[in-house]
Amino acid sequence: MSNLKLFFRESWLLLVSSVLFGGLLALTDAAWRPRIQQNEINKFSNLARTLLPAAETFEHLADPIQIPDDKGRPMLVDVRRGLDASGACAGWAFVCEGSGFADKIKLVVCVDAKFEILTGFQVLASNETPGFGDKITIQNGFYQAQYKGAPAERLTLHKAGDSKLIDSEIIAITGATVTSQAVVDILNAYVTPIKEQLRQKGFLQ
Amino acid sequence: MSKENTMTVGQAFIGGVWTEIPVLRLMLGLCPTLAVTTSVKAGLTMGLCVIFVLICSNFVVSSMRHLLKPHLRIMIFTLTIAVFVTIADMYLKAFQPVMSEKLGPYIPLIIVNCIIICRAEACAAQNGLLVSVVDGFAMGLGFTIVLCFLASIREVLATGCITFSPTLVLTILKPVEAGGWFTPWASMLMPIGAFVTLGLMLAAVNQIAGKKS
Repeated sequence: MSNLKLFFRESWLLLVSSVLFGGLLALTDAAWRPRIQQNEINKFSNLARTLLPAAETFEHLADPIQIPDDKGRPMLVDVRRGLDASGACAGWAFVCEGSGFADKIKLVVCVDAKFEILTGFQVLASNETPGFGDKITIQNGFYQAQYKGAPAERLTLHKAGDSKLIDSEIIAITGATVTSQAVVDILNAYVTPIKEQLRQKGFLQ
Repeated sequence: MSKENTMTVGQAFIGGVWTEIPVLRLMLGLCPTLAVTTSVKAGLTMGLCVIFVLICSNFVVSSMRHLLKPHLRIMIFTLTIAVFVTIADMYLKAFQPVMSEKLGPYIPLIIVNCIIICRAEACAAQNGLLVSVVDGFAMGLGFTIVLCFLASIREVLATGCITFSPTLVLTILKPVEAGGWFTPWASMLMPIGAFVTLGLMLAAVNQIAGKKS
């Protein structure tokens, strides 16, 4: 009993502060959470719309897509179906991520309705080296342009070649081979497994 | 616990913006100083967040200074700071999402910024509300001034201009690609640019302070 008294005598301020601060954070979260979620949805939709201009809305799939991560453990991926004005499937969009040179790279990737051709990628988050690795973020730059129309299959990275030739061979950014390889690896880790899953679930023929 | 200090409001203000300016005299808060000063806008946002956290945490710590137990004070300080940093982080995510992404983990990392816990311990735990709040504001202001100054040097040398928004761009040195003479230094956006510029700023401040003393 005396131990309990000592505990409360010594720590009451910490306990009271924790409760009050917890309440303050809960109130702030309740007030701003809808706006934060809306910002995230807007960002995804804006980026995905630049890659799938025909899509007016992006709907979540009722059945989540599960693919293996880099250690073989199951991982859920939020794959969304882009719908055009008539409600037909205009393509697929999903967020994928992997390790870059400096930090994690997070991408929005879009694929056509048959899941055969990549319509491109946009960078949601990256901290790659300014002037080198961050060239992956340049919209319509030579690196991103190589993915528009590339086949939705295994991609390979090459240090030299014709970057205007659209195929499964991606030409690296000079001085940023690690970042260039990271983007290729991220796409390879997601595109084919998602395609398989969509086919198994009957979304693709 | 609290030992009352005799710091005046004027001393607190001058300390924050010159005699004890966090980055250049106390050498505190160097991590965000090096990391977020690639643009003036990012430096200013970080500075404003630090001002908010410093004022709020100093206010709360000063209010409860007579109740603090010596062995629990660091826990109370950390709890207080973490709450206000989380609020600042959520505010940016809600109302400045682009800047929130640009600053990345450096906003949550304000929790472990030495300036804030240092002012809670050295000032707010020993002084009244007014002095503590002024100290928080002045320290934050000093930090913000240094961040903006360092960021303006780096951004101008790296891009030739200071970008506040896509429509508000202040061109200082016209780059070659825009028909001017200036070749941008990409290295100024990298860590080496931050280290060299900060080193030169420290040397300049030491020179000025040395001459005065």
